[in-house]
Amino acid sequence: MKQNILVVGSDNVVGSRIVNTLQTSDWATAVPLQQASDLSTYKLEDVTGIVNCTMGGPAAILASAQRLFETVKNDDDRTRIVHLSSMTVYGSVNRKVDENAHLLADLGPYGAAHIRAEEIVNGHLNTVTLRPGCEYGPGCPQWSVKLARLLQAHRLGDLGIKGDGLCNLIYIDDLVNAVLTALRLPDLGGERFNLSIPSPPTWNEYLISFGIALGAVPVRRITVRQLKLETRLYALPLKLAEIVTRQLKIGATHPPPAITPSFLMLCGQRIQLDSSKAERLLSLQWTSLAEGLKNSAAAIFENSLVDSKHL
Amino acid sequence: MILDARDFPDGHSLTSDICVVGAGAAGISLALELANTQFSVLVLESGGLKPEQETQNLYAGTVVDERLHSLPDRYRQRRFGGTTTIWGGRCMPFDAIDFEARDYVQHSGWPINLDALTSFYPKANQLCEAGQFAYTSTSAFNKPLRPMIKGFRSLNFSTDTLERFSCPTDFGARYGNRLETAQNVRILLHANATSLDLDKDGHQLNSVAVTTLPGRRLNVRAHQFVLANGGLEVARLMLASRGVHANGIGNHHDVLGRYYMCHIAGTVGALTIYGPLDSVWNGYDISDEGVYCRRRIALNSTTQREYHLANFVARLHHPRITDPAHKNSILSSLYLAKFLIPYEYGKRLHGDERADLKTWLKHIRNLSMGPFDAAKFAWHMLRDRRLADRKFPSIIIKSKANLYSVDFHAEQEPNPHSRVTLDHSVDALGMPRLKIDWRYSKTDVHTVSKSLELLATDIAQSGTGKLAYDPANLEYEMTRYGAYGGHHIGTARMGTNPTSSVVDSNCRVHGIENLHIASAAVFPTSSQANPTLTIIALTLRLAQRLKNMLLNT
Ligand SMILES: Cc1cc2nc3c(=O)[nH]c(=O)nc-3n(C[C@H](O)[C@H](O)[C@H](O)COP(=O)(O)OP(=O)(O)OC[C@H]3O[C@@H](n4cnc5c(N)ncnc54)[C@H](O)[C@@H]3O)c2cc1C
Repeated sequence: MKQNILVVGSDNVVGSRIVNTLQTSDWATAVPLQQASDLSTYKLEDVTGIVNCTMGGPAAILASAQRLFETVKNDDDRTRIVHLSSMTVYGSVNRKVDENAHLLADLGPYGAAHIRAEEIVNGHLNTVTLRPGCEYGPGCPQWSVKLARLLQAHRLGDLGIKGDGLCNLIYIDDLVNAVLTALRLPDLGGERFNLSIPSPPTWNEYLISFGIALGAVPVRRITVRQLKLETRLYALPLKLAEIVTRQLKIGATHPPPAITPSFLMLCGQRIQLDSSKAERLLSLQWTSLAEGLKNSAAAIFENSLVDSKHL
Repeated sequence: MILDARDFPDGHSLTSDICVVGAGAAGISLALELANTQFSVLVLESGGLKPEQETQNLYAGTVVDERLHSLPDRYRQRRFGGTTTIWGGRCMPFDAIDFEARDYVQHSGWPINLDALTSFYPKANQLCEAGQFAYTSTSAFNKPLRPMIKGFRSLNFSTDTLERFSCPTDFGARYGNRLETAQNVRILLHANATSLDLDKDGHQLNSVAVTTLPGRRLNVRAHQFVLANGGLEVARLMLASRGVHANGIGNHHDVLGRYYMCHIAGTVGALTIYGPLDSVWNGYDISDEGVYCRRRIALNSTTQREYHLANFVARLHHPRITDPAHKNSILSSLYLAKFLIPYEYGKRLHGDERADLKTWLKHIRNLSMGPFDAAKFAWHMLRDRRLADRKFPSIIIKSKANLYSVDFHAEQEPNPHSRVTLDHSVDALGMPRLKIDWRYSKTDVHTVSKSLELLATDIAQSGTGKLAYDPANLEYEMTRYGAYGGHHIGTARMGTNPTSSVVDSNCRVHGIENLHIASAAVFPTSSQANPTLTIIALTLRLAQRLKNMLLNT
């Protein structure tokens, strides 16, 4: 008999990919849930696993974790939870980190929310926590679609010293595989896994290669001066415009994406996720960067990126 | 971690697994390669983060003939980042022939060949921010480029090879943060290595004596030491370290400081290209990664062997700026603005020649004939060079009359009489100053004159133009501005025989187990290529060796 897996956050790219993959599998049926509050509509006895891939602001992340924990707290740790956290839990460190590294809430409320959410969800002992780096691949809004728009507008490119950080990429298919394996393997309760390709490129290398794959050439060297203008002058109004258009659901129009100070900080951070544990225990195989970029760019071309509705 | 030697008490001792002297192109590349390994790395850098005149003065010295070689405190920078704080960024690898022992180039031949560096060049290219390691137009571009000279065919020269340009990357500014965040690396600023102290048998380096400008002394002990303090200063420090060996370290056979090479370079002739304006392209092509690339006219290795020539390349250049006969408003504006151009770049643009009033007036007239062209050019230089982080590399003037000159850059034959020695005077730290006696040879003159002759013939035979120059004046032209500045090569050459070389094929000083050199000082020959890319490739190779050595001990 097929197992029922609840997927919380099924409307985002990762969630919907997990749902689709589960649906085509011979062992599971996916039950898509947009948000954690929908959990109450399901009888837990029929469910063997829950994937939490809620995205959004700190409040949404925390609320979802809380709701999830409330739902499973009395099931004697029977239900396997796969909780998607984030590499932001490691804070601003500049070194290689494995899963035992100290967590640091110095990157603002988002990172702090993820740390707290991990604590809450891990109150349930049969939880597997995944800490992915930057998800990229066809349709990934943050690290593929948005960056493609910025590269095509030549607002991003080679960032020089500002892009010297390590870009801990995880291809969307690899992330989905990790989730599926984490759902099925026994004895993983309480384990945490970093997820990022080994030997990550620098942000400059990623942006330049992606720019080339997109045909946005020659890739421009962005001056430090221009980046200052972006983060200090343009970012706030652009972010506001993005929020307003999202709220007003003006589907067809999209303001240009903002280059935020936090993004720029990430581009300079020399953190490297050590994902050898995931390789070992989840038997993960990584999609090569070349392959991942080719597929990401192909998807952008197919969806005629610029007025994509995902943004 | 970045520290300052002046903050340590007098007599303080520091230890590490690897001690690197100098934080320029080589020292920084080495430290980057060793960053985040299990070995502790201490980099001693004489300068600070900003230029300081007092520190720069430590580079002062003398030259035997100032017309042939500029003073030693020119074309070098003694500060964090070293001379990459002012370099031009031109990158290209050595050619296979450069490593060969050629009987027509005295003292040529490396104990390694190009293959030994092939796997390190791409990373070196990356560190220079010069894009992918692709140095032909066909490998670097996926569409054919417009020909440099339409219809030019030659069996002696190739126009397919490229030079690629770094930003130019200031290694200190660009990688300082990366080193600062590396757990195992310490950079010690204002730390002048003043002496290398051997054990009493003279086979092992025990420590490096460090002196700060206020005169405080520190001592650094390490398992392995690497000198990366530049092609001239490596020789100076080794010559001056006479505690155990009277002639200095690595100088049992009086080789240290000899075979000093730069490049032979100059701008000659009037090259007229026939046909419409688009039959010539002397500018840059921009690769997909945004890197400026430029083709050159490179002498084939077969021709080099046939005519007994050292390596040689040429580029299409604008006419000499100083001579107002070019009637070009842009060139004249550059002449008039010469006070704004730094010495190291101005020298070859307008020389040290004093112009008379008539010449000045002619330049002013040129400028008044084309003020818009000059203004357009000024705007281009402001936007694409001054304000850009990836700078437009050089002055490119498209001639309206298809009239160019030939800018050449040639290998210099190693010559034991071309050398650096220690002077009697000392610097503020008590170190003997350098005395430079740079010389060129008949082979150098032959290389340039025969190559130009072949080029003129090939251009004429292909019916594409005419290269006119005065062969009798050639030796004067190739030494008009002296040795090419900033390329300090050969003073601690590599070889298998300790009687004729200073380091072995692994850049280790003969007879001293734990002392290595990362610098163009070890190049036995100079190639036509600018040195920095190869310095870095050799340094990365050394880093790998050091890691292996330390792992095995
Ligand atoms: C104007 C100019 C243009 C150039 N253009 C090009 C080009 O286009 N392409 C190219 O390939 N090359 C070019 N070069 C040459 C290039 O700059 C050098 O090849 C390169 O910098 C050499 O690297 P290095 O690490 O050996 O020496 P450096 O970069 O000079 O670094 C040596 C370091 O050692 C430090 N140091 C010196 N003595 C001591 C001591 N006793 N103790 C501690 N520290 C010490 C110095 O402060 C310095 O930081 C150019 C040079 C100049 C001047």
